[in-house]
Amino acid sequence: MSRHGHSRTPPRRPGPLQLSPAERERYDRQLGPGVLSEEGQLRLKGASALVTRVGGMGGPAAQMLAMAGVGNVIIAHGGEMISPDLNRQVLGSENVLGQPRATEFAAYLRTMNRMINVEAIDHEPDDAEAFELARRCDIILSCPPTFAERLRLNRSAVAAGIPLIDAAQWGMTGTLIVVRPGQTACLQCVYPNEPPFEELFPVVGAISCATGALAALEAIKILSGTGKPLFGRLLTYDGFVGRPSVVELKRNPNCPVCGHI
Amino acid sequence: MKIRITYLGRRYQHAEVLPEQLNLADGATIADAVDEVNALLHDTTLPGSCLVTVSGEHVGSVDRFTDRALREGEELVLIAPVAGG
Repeated sequence: MSRHGHSRTPPRRPGPLQLSPAERERYDRQLGPGVLSEEGQLRLKGASALVTRVGGMGGPAAQMLAMAGVGNVIIAHGGEMISPDLNRQVLGSENVLGQPRATEFAAYLRTMNRMINVEAIDHEPDDAEAFELARRCDIILSCPPTFAERLRLNRSAVAAGIPLIDAAQWGMTGTLIVVRPGQTACLQCVYPNEPPFEELFPVVGAISCATGALAALEAIKILSGTGKPLFGRLLTYDGFVGRPSVVELKRNPNCPVCGHI
Repeated sequence: MKIRITYLGRRYQHAEVLPEQLNLADGATIADAVDEVNALLHDTTLPGSCLVTVSGEHVGSVDRFTDRALREGEELVLIAPVAGG
């Protein structure tokens, strides 16, 4: 971990972007009709994704991105692992209770796929850092607990012109909003006034994991150029009653974040 | 005129006191329906940031939405914003 709170695996020597025999073997089950083309897999390899935070939803999202072969996965999460995290935070375990989340989670992700880079940031990025990260990423997966952080990541994604996937949860409900700056509603269009923050919200890990996995699937589709992303729509799955719903979100032409684009 | 109503997101206890459909006067608008829901909630009101959709169309949030007349059988979905990490 550097003095700036970042750690990363040693950068690999740049070379022509192609799949190695080991990569071809690893990703064999996701290459082909209905899944990824080889070109799409190469796009993943050359892509960089920021996931913040990597708790209940961001954890499985980061894990799925790493396992799918996204070349650079940047995770941000502060604090140390505590017991109540373990009902949903799949990147941790009993063995790392009391340990810094970002460092331990990054180490776990590296054990899942040695062929990618994983960077760890041991805090939630502030405005300046979020803008800097957005500029060197291809996509942001927004999974923090507060709307203040979500709206900050949205501003950074819009400024950088990269897609943002906002994943959220409460109880047994999960939601996804997929933003394409300048073409769809952004998070600020949807929430012009910051909703209140609920620090200790109830949640069942199964919905966290499902929502995070769906966020990763959207990211994989967008980064690889596969399928039809949920751009501009809100997907809600109310697990309490087993009801999915999709709503087309309306842009705000006067949005202070994206209205000028 | 009857419309269907669904409440998603936080506070399931809100959903428990809400009927699955509202009986409104002919010509009633989205605002009338939101007022009716707030009246049913008794001790609280819908959060201003709660998203309002009608028959799959996002019309805004409780504190700012584009009002229009409702039609028989339409579905009003109120989505309380969720965050959670």
